Formats: sequence, C-alpha cells, structure tokens
Amino acid sequence: MHRRIVLVALLAAVLLVPLGASAQKPIKVGMPMPLSGPAALFGEPASKGAQMFIDELNARGGVLGRKLELIVRDSKADANEAVRQARELILKDNVDFLVGTLTSAEGPAVSVVAKENKIVFIAPIPKTDQLTAPDKLHPYVFRVASTTTIEGRSAAEIVAKWPVTKVATISFDYAYGQDVTKAFVDHLKKIKPSVEIVDQQWPKLGEQDYNPFINAQMAKKPEAVMSSIWGGFFVTFSKQARALGYFDAIKYNFIGLGEAGSPETTKSMRDDYPVGIWGNSYDAFYWGESAAHRDYTTRLSKYLRDEYPSSWAVQGYIGMQVLTEAIKKANSTDSDKVAKALLGLTVETPVGPLTIREKDHQANRGQLYGKTVMDPKYPFAIMKPVTYVDPTKFMD
Amino acid sequence: MMTRLGRAPWPLLVVALALLVPAVGSRFYTFLANDVLIWALFATSLNLLVGYTGLVSFGHAAYFGIGAYTTGILMKKLAVPFVLAFPAAGIFAGLAALVFGFFCVRLTRIYFAMLTLAFAQIVWAICFKWNEVTGGEQGMPEIPYPALDWMDRLPWVGDLRTSDHFYLLTVLLVALCLWALRRIVGSPFGRILTTIRENPERAEFIGVNVRRYELIAFVVAGAFAGLAGGLFGIFNRGVFPDFAYWTKSSEVLIMTLLGGMGTFYGPPLGALALILLNQQIVSYTEYWPFVLGTILVVLLFVFPGGLAGAAGIVSRRLARALRA
Amino acid sequence: MLRVLNFAHGTFYMLGAYTTYQFVQWVGGGPGLFWLAALGGALAVAALGGLVERLLFRHLYGKEELYQLLFTYALVLILSDAAKMLWGTQQKSVSRPPELSGAFTLFGATIPSYNLLIILLGPAIALGFWLTLQRTRVGRFIRAAALDRETLGALGVDVDALYTWIFMLASFLGGLGGALISPMRAITPGMDTEIIVEAFVVVVIGGLGSFWGTFFGALIYGQVLSFGILFFPRFSIFAVFALMAAVLMVRPWGLLGRPLQ
Repeated sequence: MHRRIVLVALLAAVLLVPLGASAQKPIKVGMPMPLSGPAALFGEPASKGAQMFIDELNARGGVLGRKLELIVRDSKADANEAVRQARELILKDNVDFLVGTLTSAEGPAVSVVAKENKIVFIAPIPKTDQLTAPDKLHPYVFRVASTTTIEGRSAAEIVAKWPVTKVATISFDYAYGQDVTKAFVDHLKKIKPSVEIVDQQWPKLGEQDYNPFINAQMAKKPEAVMSSIWGGFFVTFSKQARALGYFDAIKYNFIGLGEAGSPETTKSMRDDYPVGIWGNSYDAFYWGESAAHRDYTTRLSKYLRDEYPSSWAVQGYIGMQVLTEAIKKANSTDSDKVAKALLGLTVETPVGPLTIREKDHQANRGQLYGKTVMDPKYPFAIMKPVTYVDPTKFMD
Repeated sequence: MMTRLGRAPWPLLVVALALLVPAVGSRFYTFLANDVLIWALFATSLNLLVGYTGLVSFGHAAYFGIGAYTTGILMKKLAVPFVLAFPAAGIFAGLAALVFGFFCVRLTRIYFAMLTLAFAQIVWAICFKWNEVTGGEQGMPEIPYPALDWMDRLPWVGDLRTSDHFYLLTVLLVALCLWALRRIVGSPFGRILTTIRENPERAEFIGVNVRRYELIAFVVAGAFAGLAGGLFGIFNRGVFPDFAYWTKSSEVLIMTLLGGMGTFYGPPLGALALILLNQQIVSYTEYWPFVLGTILVVLLFVFPGGLAGAAGIVSRRLARALRA
Repeated sequence: MLRVLNFAHGTFYMLGAYTTYQFVQWVGGGPGLFWLAALGGALAVAALGGLVERLLFRHLYGKEELYQLLFTYALVLILSDAAKMLWGTQQKSVSRPPELSGAFTLFGATIPSYNLLIILLGPAIALGFWLTLQRTRVGRFIRAAALDRETLGALGVDVDALYTWIFMLASFLGGLGGALISPMRAITPGMDTEIIVEAFVVVVIGGLGSFWGTFFGALIYGQVLSFGILFFPRFSIFAVFALMAAVLMVRPWGLLGRPLQ
C-alpha cells in the first residue's frame, strides 16, 4: 500500500514537469468560452473571431513588439466552470488578460475572479445589466457587448411604431430574459402609454416544449409579441409556434431579440424560418454599411472558409481589438495601466467607432435590427432593410 | 529493505510534503494541490459507501453541495467565523444524509442508486432555483477566506499569501478528516461494514442490524462529503448549484473507481491522477470528455481494480522478480 | 427490460436526430423522403448500439451494476464529443415532412398534423412492442432473459445473440425518438444530457421494465410539470424529482412495475 505513495510522487513529478516551462515572450490572453453544449453555437465562432484578429495582428508584428497568444478554454456555459477555467488561466497559463464568457451567469462570476486577481477582463457577449451595475463594478471589468437595457429599449422603439396596442412577451425565466423584458416593457409604456401588456410567458431556460406557452399566449389574443428566446432555442420555439399558426395570428408583428435574426439562425432553418418577423443580430455578413465592415467580412469569410460567415465572430474580434488598442495606449501590459487606458477609449471597429464609458465601463454597442424577408440572392431569409440602432440615447 | 520502507510513517511524510508545496512559490501548484486534497477527501468519503459497504450512491454530490452552501451562506451572509461554519457543513450534510439515507437504505442495488440520484437532483433543483438564499444559477461568489491572521505571526508562514494560508489549513483539516476516516474503517464498525458488503444475509444472520449500519455509514459519508464541500466553496471562491448536479456525482465516482474502490488510499490517488490528467489534457484539446470516457472504458475493462489494483499487481510481480 | 440502466439512451436519441439530419441532407426533403431519412437515422443508431453491445457491453453482464452504469456514462462522454467532431457546434434543423405540414382544429385548439401523428405513433409502437413481447416466441425469450439468463441458455437459446438484438432494438427506439422529434426542434450539441435525467424520472415513476408503466410515467411527468408551472413555476423541476423520490420510497419498482425477484 505504501509503495503506492511512491507511485503518487512519481506520477506527480512526471505530470508536473511540463507545467513549469513557460515562455515569457508573447502577451497571453485567456478566453473562457462555451465550446460544448447548446451555447457552443456562439462561443465557438466568437473564439474564432478573436483568433483571426490575433493572427492578423501578429502577422503585422504584434503590439509593443510582442505577439499576442490566445488560450481558449471550454466554460460549458456554466458559471462554476467559467470561474474554474478563468482561475486556471491566470494561475497556470499566467495570462495577462481575460477576454470572454458568454452567458449572463458566467460574466459576473468571472468578473469576481478578475477583481480578486487584479486582471483586466473584457466581456464580449454577456448582456446582463448586473455585470456593470454600480455594486458589481470594479476597476478591471469592461464590456463591449450590448446590454439588456440597450436591447430592450431599442426593441421598444421599434414596436412603438407598429399600429398595435395589445403586446405580449415571452422570455426565459433567468437573468437575461427577465432583465431584457423589463427594459422593453418599461420603455414601451413610457414612450407609448396606450400600450397594454396582455400576457407574459416565462418558460424555463432550455425549454423544449413550447406548445403550452404558445397556446396560453394565443388565448390572450395579443397583436404583437416581443421574444428574447435565443439561439438554438429560438429554432425550437419558432418551429413549434409556426405549426400552431402563432405567427399568422399576430400578423408577424413579432420581434425576436437574443439574435433571432442572425444569419446563423435563418440559415439553419431556411424555409422553416417565420419570414416576416423582426429580428436582431450582432452582425450580418450582408450588412456592408462601411468599407471597414465589407473588408472585415471578406477576411472573415476567407478565415472561416464560409461563404456566409458567422455573426458572432465579430464580438470576439472586437474584444481583442479593444484590448490591443488599450495596451497600445497604455504602452504597457500592466493590468492597472491598461484598465486606466480603457476608460474613455475609442476604437474604430468593423461595426463603427465604439467608446468605453468612464462611468460604467460599458461600450456603446448597439445591434442590427430589421424585418426578415426572403432575398433571391440567398437560400435563406435576411433582415432587410437592416439598420444599426445607435444605443447612445438608451444608455442611462 | 521492503519491510523497513513499509514501516516508515508514510502518511506523516505525505502531510509534511503537502505542507511544503507553497514553499515552491508557484500559486498554481498550491491551487492544484488544494484542489486535489479536497477532492481526495470527497472521494474517500464516497469510498466508505461504495468500497467498504457496497452501496453504490449516484448522488453523493448532494452532500458536497449542501456542505458548500452551508459554509458559504454562513460565512458570506451571516459573517459566521470559519471555526463554526466549517463543522456546520458536516453537521448539515450529515443531517440531510440522515433524512435521505433513512429512505435510501431500505432499497437495494439499482433502486438505491436511483433514489440517491433523485435526492441529489432535488438538492440541485433547490440550489438552482432558490435565488434569494442560494443565488440561483449565478451561484454565490466571493465567499470570504477564513480569518487566518494568526498565521501571519508564525515563522516561515507569515509572508505567504492568503490563498497559501488557506491551503495550509486545508492540509491540516483534510489530514485530520482522513485520519478519522481511517480510524473508522479500521474499527470494529468498519469491519462490520465490510461484512455487509461481502454478504448482507450473513451479516443479518450473525445479528447485525444491516439497515442501521448502512444508515450510519451513509450519514458519516455524507458528513465528510459536506466538510469537503465546505472547504471547496472557499477554495473555489464561490458556490454554484453545479456542485450538487449528477455529473459531479459521477465525477467523484470515477475518481474512486480510478484509484481503486475498497482500498483506503485508492480514491485520493484517483483524485490526484484525474485532476493532473485533466490539467494536461485540456491544454491540448477541447475534447476532454472524449478522453475521460476512453479512460473510463479502459479502466472498466482492463483495470477494474483501479490504480491501486494495478499498482498492487505490479508490485507483487516486482517482489516476485526480486525474490527470484 | 434487461435491468440495465442506460445513461447513453439520451445520446442515442441525439444521434438519431443528427443522423436523420444527415440523411435528409443526402436524400432531400421531398414527399415521403423524410420518413426514409428518419428510418435510416434510427437504423444507423441501432447498428451502432449493436456494435457497442457486441464489442464491449456484453463483457460487463456478469459484473456489478456500477460498472454497467459507468460504462454507459462513458458512452455518453465519448459519443457526444464524437457527434461534435462530426457535425460541429452549429445548430441543425430538419423541416417537417411536406405531407404533414398543415394543422387542423379540434375543439377550438389547433393541433399541427405532425404532432398528432407523433401522439398516435407513440402508443402504436408501444402496442406493437407489447404484442411482440406477449405473443411471439422471441418475446417470450426476451421476457425470460430478463428473469433468468442462465436457464434460458441451458434451454438451447442463443442468449448472446438475443441480447445483441434487444440492445439494438432499444437503440433503434432511442434513435427513432430523436429522428421523430427532429422536425419539432433544433438539433444541437447537449440535447442528450437534457433528456437523460427526464427519461430516468419517467421510467422510475412508471416502473423499470414495464411498458405501460413507462407510458403512465410520461403522462404523470407531464401533468406534474404543467401543474407545477401553473401553481409554483419556480419549483416545477423540484416537484418532478420529489415525485420520483416518493415513488421510489413507496413502490421502488414503480407504479406499474413488478418487484424484482
């Protein structure tokens, strides 16, 4: 039995040796992102976008004469796992910065790790207001994603223009769903007092059977619906809703937040997509507003070897871009200096200039909105006309 | 030579070695060692059930989770000192194990495993949904470290970081718990458990109240899992509902199996091996589950005795070769 | 049926959906072709199940349940990662078969034709299954195998082959479940784990190894969940597991099952 302990020691020695070797040269960025489970749909392209930025940057010689190195770890869309990976990235891989996380549970949890280790953390995707709320804010957390306030209010502005008064909502019963729905309802009631909220449905996160919720909602006869059911779940929801004649009943007065209008979703559903509804997205390869965006899309398309590249890659890209600009401005990789440099920093991104506010470390990141139509150029629906809704006026 | 090696105070040497880890100066080694120690305790507590009593629990994470939330809530929300919050983890987890175990030990084999799983899922659902108390799916971050100011005044140790201080505390507490478990296993009580594993009918026949002994084993295992959870919440800098999920139960079961069920030092060894392996693999590939699954298959077919069993075979062969 | 708890059943369900998607990609989505794809998907999963049984699982029959349980868990880990390698992380979607894309109204409620078919198909498959088990030679063997493997072998029945067939059939049904659900939802990684525990709850409530029990279990599960949503939405998951625990405490063999031995 005791000889086993010798074995333990040997095993430990063998396994630990490679860990000791670490090169000092490149600037290391750790990225906890969901690479498995349903959220991998966004996590994977976001990490690819970040990698593309780094590859391009390193080809140009890097920043401050040093190359950037991205280390991606699977956070499984789970707060516990994200914290675990973030801590290991800091302790084992000695990363200088953290860029990552996806869900509204992961973001705030990793933010705490960043605070404790005094390491700059840039969140490219989580939208929950709690991440940068005054009681949670600390010098090292920044966000280049949109927020639930911005998203909810942008949608309210659109719905307010529709000739409807009876509005209903359907969202998942957790932080993101609740926050975005509240922002939407509050703002809509403020700008159009005649609106009446006739029904609110709260399926649990990851629900697979929406039939009871859809039937209950149709019974209340709303004229328009706001949904924040995201990603693959929107595919499930809209397939079931369409079969029940839900979209016909509300005359396609439906706005799908949580990127229901993203090319990934319309592409995977093709003819099954409820064409005619409104949706939003972080990016769309067909947007092409500026030369910078067209150029970015071409490069991304080549990088991912995909004719219709992902709309999520841009969030990873922007996250890395903002970090790099801050390192350049601080002329240092020290987190305290970079954190200071990030305040008020303006960066020319593929989606236009973004500024990190000093007040709450939040970038003015809006999203694309539009009504979906079939376009003969593509075998799936696109948002047309697609508009970037500037969030500045929605930010408190 | 072999016998002299055998008589050396190995457990003490391992503790001494563990205490020296922070001296290496790497925060990561301390982190890793801390992780291994807590999982070692957790796996050993499960081994009391699976290995010694023959009860396959598929919901052992429930007590780990209860312990973690107990210590976490007491220390973070009620500012209770660690001296009280840590034993509380064991007490609450033990009480939960008493209630759940009362029903579980009435069942056998598959049904026992299913009911432990069901209870664990209940615990998980409560942690996941009771936002006001547990923080829901976002968990409860920023559990404070215990007040270890007295360590500052100690020679050698005073200059270390807070996380190192907590690690030293973990070493001592885990060593204490393992010592206690070792005593339990070696006691007449432990021998009765083994008898139950080998042949429950015979145990009943010689006048042992099998259910009562199984229940006691269940409670003891639950309490020690709770203590491990209490330490883990602080170490992890946050408590999450994930702690009580069924995948955690299977993880600790794999560790126990990997190390070798029914041998006392097998499960800690399994915890060490699995954690180190995970560290190495995730640096190369995102397909850790694939690797873990493959390890598990190999283990089941080639080394059902786990590492301890394999080591036993190797050392026996070696001894024979030496003698020859 | 064979007193084997199979974690991997959820994985077979996911693979059924993915293989159906793959077949739809190959044969297209024309009239009647969906059914071909679904059948092909389920058969592919059955083939995989048979292979796993023949090469690996059969060596575990004599051992403890723990080993069988952990082996099926290992399958979950390996196969879900394999699916990720094959089909990537992007969601996939399959259209409803064109001949059933409509809906009709019954007592004021709209029911999509496809859903109705599924509702009818479930009991039909179960009934066919039950009849096979009760009335045919093979069925009698299967029931006998569940009770006493050795005696059956002594009677000259090729028990090994029988077990392979049973395992394939179980995988086929799991795969078929995934294939048939695919037009109603998105096919994503992780759809295996979300159904495993649910399936356990259903089987335990109804009774391990009892067909009608499983149906009954599914019914109760749905009811408890919907009532839970109505009255105390946040604890509906809790209610389901509590029910499972309650059933295990009172009738561990399930509401309609029979006690073991």
